[in-house]
Formats: sequence, structure tokens, C-alpha cells
Amino acid sequence: MSKMYHHLPVEAYTTQDWFDREQRLIFSRSWRYAGLAEDLPEPGHYLSVQAGVNNIFIVMGRDHRLRAFHNICRHRGTQLIRAVGKTQKALTCPYHDWTYDLEGNLISVPDEETEYPGGLDKSCLGLKPASVDIWRGMLFVHPEPDAPSLVEWFGAVEPLLGPHDPAKLVEYPEARQSYEIKANWKIVVENYIDVYHLSHLHSNTLHMYDHARAEYGWKGPHYHFWEPPAPGYAKDLEQNLPSPRVIPKPHVGAWVPMLFPGTGIGASEDSWNIFILTPLGPELTRVENRTKLADASAWEFSKQEWLSSGFWKSFGGPKYSGEDVAGKEDPMASGDFTAEDVYACEQQQKSLASPYLEIGPAATGESPITRHQRAVLDFMDLQARQMGAGDV
Amino acid sequence: MFEFHSLRVAELNAEIGGGATSVTFELPADLIDRFAWHAGQHVTLRFVLEAQEQRRSYTVSNPPGAPLRITVKRESGGLVSNHIADALSVGDRIEVAPPIGRFALEPRRHARRTHYFFGAGSGITPLFAMVQAVLTDEPESVAHLIFGNRSADTILFRKELDQLVTQHPDRFTLRHALSAASLWSWFSPWRQGHVDAQAVKAAITQTPPVAQDVQYWICGPGAMNRDLSSGLNDLDVPADRIHMESFGAAQPADDGVQGCAASAVIRLQDGQHEISVQEGQNLLAAIRANGLTVPFSCQSGVCGACRAQLADGAVHMRSHMALAEGDIAAGHILTCQSLAQTKRLTLDFRS
Ligand code: FES
Ligand code: FES
Ligand SMILES: [Fe+2]
Repeated sequence: MSKMYHHLPVEAYTTQDWFDREQRLIFSRSWRYAGLAEDLPEPGHYLSVQAGVNNIFIVMGRDHRLRAFHNICRHRGTQLIRAVGKTQKALTCPYHDWTYDLEGNLISVPDEETEYPGGLDKSCLGLKPASVDIWRGMLFVHPEPDAPSLVEWFGAVEPLLGPHDPAKLVEYPEARQSYEIKANWKIVVENYIDVYHLSHLHSNTLHMYDHARAEYGWKGPHYHFWEPPAPGYAKDLEQNLPSPRVIPKPHVGAWVPMLFPGTGIGASEDSWNIFILTPLGPELTRVENRTKLADASAWEFSKQEWLSSGFWKSFGGPKYSGEDVAGKEDPMASGDFTAEDVYACEQQQKSLASPYLEIGPAATGESPITRHQRAVLDFMDLQARQMGAGDV
Repeated sequence: MFEFHSLRVAELNAEIGGGATSVTFELPADLIDRFAWHAGQHVTLRFVLEAQEQRRSYTVSNPPGAPLRITVKRESGGLVSNHIADALSVGDRIEVAPPIGRFALEPRRHARRTHYFFGAGSGITPLFAMVQAVLTDEPESVAHLIFGNRSADTILFRKELDQLVTQHPDRFTLRHALSAASLWSWFSPWRQGHVDAQAVKAAITQTPPVAQDVQYWICGPGAMNRDLSSGLNDLDVPADRIHMESFGAAQPADDGVQGCAASAVIRLQDGQHEISVQEGQNLLAAIRANGLTVPFSCQSGVCGACRAQLADGAVHMRSHMALAEGDIAAGHILTCQSLAQTKRLTLDFRS
């Protein structure tokens, strides 16, 4: 009998076997974030992304429409393209120079007559198509060519994600970062959606919002969350916002949904951020952050910063200070909520291997955690059934 | 089944200063299902004028759910279009056959598509129905209309289109191209000139697709359609995303191919008939001359009403505007455009 962590066995957070099954049944069978729409600005630009066990690349055709293909040469399987780039008309495999057009058709094979004296039917050797779409300014791919549309996948949760139109905002490149957390991806998700911890772990970093009045829930496997500004912040909100508004008045608050699997958004009156999780191993997860701000002049930014400086000067600080601080680098003394979260996730993961681990009862503000565990189980069950037992 | 029903004219409206007429029909309750249409489909009208039966196809210029309405552009010297413009009154009865046609947009609630519409002149009629169908019944999709006309005063549905822009600012864009724009007009179009391959490229670059299921709908004169579809091909648009119907179809060119005399087996719902086809006679004409009834309408290869499956033998089609590549590969022919190339033929009308 395996030890349980609410609805999931503890092994779900620690073992290669669970990791592999999730890769196959969740990350290879769902829509996967692949970047921001502006990452592919013009025809010929491409990028590739790992979606579970699949590597998929997206390329923009001359009609400005995106095509997605599995990044696998039809000859001997070599990955065709690397990360990001731009091509004119064709994609050539580095190994034997088989060349494909942007529709995925195999258009040339070197020394075709001598190497394939029996002939080669190039029309059967096109790249395998996948699905791609743009939604709320983000690129998404799905390994299947006729995947259910993003409306079916995200439609129900979309109205709860806030009035933001990310396509109209501008990326703030300095905020772009990627880092690794030594914890299972579900630990990181659970931290993201844990309403209970907001007033505690972040007692001194996120209190401009009123966690007691948070509204949250689920639409299928997707979590939605909204909370209003706390009274002290709301009093002179327009003045207190650190940068110009990205949504029209009178909308206020913070929207912090977690879309399945592992695509977090954190959006407020003045910014829109994404928090993308990629499981790297049973106990290692990569996080990618990108931020978009208002499409406003430098002057408007400085003006807003200056207006709000009074509020922020006296706001917040580290959770621990004085004697509680463990050295110069203590994340709990950083005054940075991300550092606090990373610390909490890694500290929790460390205990999962202990035979003395025993998980206590879930609090009301932790109901999203147990619900996410269900979502993971349900999604895997459904996919396993759809694939038929044989393929699993 | 292709049968005519007598429908009462409920409303007549002159458009663009009398250059076109919209005719709205009253549909009795028992015909509503029979006359249900998809945006882009057309009905066939039958008149007897100057002691001759005349048939014409007109697109339904309203989306499904709205009143059954056609909009007919007045052709100079056009027998039927002038009759409609000048001689009809509310209350008249007209013989109308139910909607058909494969140039049709069926909205899907959960689809998330980008539709580009390219139209010219009265080619707007199916597009107008399609744009509205998208805006009301495909709520996550976006429509871009590029509309060519001679001058500002010949733009059909101009007011209605402007209203749609106001109602759906995030989901509908409208761009006008005028080929003979007056310098003195206050109306400044998006572009001067015809809707051509250049205009298509400019439009797509200006409003690239967000939803990646992209469909292209083209409706104008044959030459424009050919230009646009080759323009889209140059941009690598896959053929199955391009939907086209030609308007004001020019007489199909006599390409010099001769038909031979033949005997043909015609399979209809009610059984099998053996007929003879005269040298040079098109198959539809031969079938009718032998007293058989099969559906037809435009007799110029545009509407697709006369299609049949060629089960045996070979024919030459003068034009096949109304057929998609896949149809042709599957052996479909337009009998009004087909000349026998073998002495024995078998045609099947039963599907
Ligand atoms: S593996 Fe790609 S060309 Fe050989
Ligand atoms: S009758 Fe219209 S295509 Fe033949
Ligand atoms: Fe947190």
C-alpha cells in the first residue's frame, strides 16, 4: 500500500515511472504553451518546443498562417531544426540533406536516382503535421493534427481570466527569466494555487491584495482565481499602481489562474505575466517567466512610478528578519515572493522521501490542491482509455 | 429532389439607387424546412418571359434564420434582372426551387477560425450572408471582408456592412477597393483598383490571422477568382482552404473540343433510361430532349445543380467552376457542360 499525499500516492511526486506516465498521458496529449505570438513575427520564422515526448516546431508560411510539424526527419528521424530561427522556403535536415518545404512536403533527396534506384515516393514522406493556434497572445501546440479546438479546451475558463488583451501589451524583456526548482511540477502547481499560504508565506510580500476575499474555482481541469486589492492599496489605487494600467477602469484586482497542465498566468491592473512549468524530471521543474506591460511611453512609466513611490516605499519587506535570518542569501529574508515560493517547494520536496512523512489534513484554502490532484488523475484516466490499454 | 414552389413576394427594395433589387419571399410554415439554407447557397427562380422558360440562380443574401431574400443586380439588357427590377410587385408569386450550392459556410459554435472574404460587385451577396453567419453563430471567429466595387455609389449593403463593423469591432474588419473612385468623393477607400493578388497580400499582412484555422472565400467575376486563387497559391495557401464561386459568369469559352454522338444510360431515382446523345450536344440538353427530368439551373457550369456521377465512359467538360478538384477526381461532372467523348456513357443522378 503506497503512502498517500491526499489523492495521489507520494510516488507520483518522486518516481521516474510516474514522471514517464505523465509525460505520455498529460504533456504529450494536451495543448502546450509554445511562446508568445510575437516570437514568430514574419513568414519564414520558426521555433520548436518540447511537448511531453514530442518535439514540435511551428513555422509561419507566406500567408502568415502558422504550420506545426513534428520535428522529426522522415528519413532516419533526426531533429530538423534547432530552437528558433528564420528560413526562406525550405527546411533541410542536417544529416543527409533531405529537404522539406514549409508545407512539410519532402521536396528533395540528394542523389535520389543513385541512392534509390528503385525509386522513392516522396509524396508519402512529408513531415507529420501537428496543431497550432494562437490564444490570448500565446502560441499553443498539440501533437495531434486534428486536436480539439482551443475553444473547447479553454472556452469555459476564458471569461474568468480577466479583461486583459495580451496581444496589445508589450513585453518587458528584463523580466524574462528561466530557472529550475528542485521539486516535482505538481508541487510547484500546488504552491501556485494554494490560497492558504498567501497570508502566511507571503505575509509581507503580497498583502496589497485581499486574500480573504479571493474568489476561486475550477472549469474542468483549469483553475481560476481573482482577488481584490486590499483596502490600503485600493484607497488610492490609481496612484498606487507601480506602472500604467493594462486594463480599463474600473476593473481591479489580481487574476492568477493555473491552466492545465502547468501554465500559470498572473495578471493585475498594471501587468500580465506568465509562469510556464516544464517537468524536467520527477524532482526537477523548469519555470519560464515573461511579463507584458502597457504599451505606453517611458514618460508615462516614470510618472506612474513616481506617483506610486510613496506607497511602495513603506510597503512590505522580508518575512524573517533579525535573529531568524539564516545567512546573507536566506530567501525568507529576501522580501521577494518568488524566492519564498521556490524555497517552500524545495523544502517540501525534500521531505517526500522520508519514511516519517505523513501529510496532515487539507485546509479550506488548500481545496485547489486536492482538486488539482483529481484533475491529474482524471486526465490521465481519460487519455489512457482513449489510447486503449495497449498503447499505455 | 429539385422542385419548384410558388412563393409570394413579401417585400421589394431597391438597392444602390435602383441598380439592384432585393426580393424577400414569404415562406409558408410547411416549406420552412425545405427552404432552409446555408450561408452562401442559392435558389433558382423560374419565369416564363417572352414565351420562353427562363431559369436563374440567385444567392440568398441573408444568413440562415433571417427572411429568405435575394438581391439581383440589374444587367443591361438582362431579361430576368430587368423584369425583377421593373415588373415585380409585392404579392406576386414566383416559382422558386429550394436552396442548393456547395459554396456554403456552415458556422460551428466551437470553431475558432479566421475567415477572409474577397468579393466584388454583386459577389457580395453570398459573402454578406456568410459574414453574418460567422458573426452570430461562430462567436470565437473573426471575419475580414475585402470588397471591390467600381465606385462608392455602387457598393451593395454598404450601410448594413458599416453597422456590422460597429456591432463587432473586434471581430469584423471591412476594407473597400474602388476601381473608378471619384477624386471628389468624400469616401476614401482602403485601396484604389481591383481586388487582385496584391490586395490580398496587403490585406493578409495588415491583419494576419490570429485563429489559425484560416478559410478564404472568394466571390467575383471569373477573372478575379482566377487571379486571387493563384495569388493565394503563391502564398502557399492549401487548396482545401480556398472556397470560390464565380459571379456574372462569362459564357464558357468554346474550346473547340467536339462531342461525339453516343448512347447513354441514365440512372434516376425511378429507374434506368437509355437515351441517345447527338453529336455536339451537351448531356443535359440530350437528357431533356429525351423527356427526362433532372435538376438543373444556370446551364453555364456555375451552380452545380446538374451534377451527376459518370459511372462509365468519358466526357469533356467545357467548364467546371461548380466542382471542387476532389469532386472531379471522384467522377462528378456537370452535365450542362459535358460533351460525350466515348460512344457509351453511364450517368448516375441518384446521390
Ligand atoms: S535523417 Fe534526415 S536526412 Fe537522413
Ligand atoms: S445547370 Fe448549373 S452547373 Fe449545370
Ligand atoms: Fe506563493
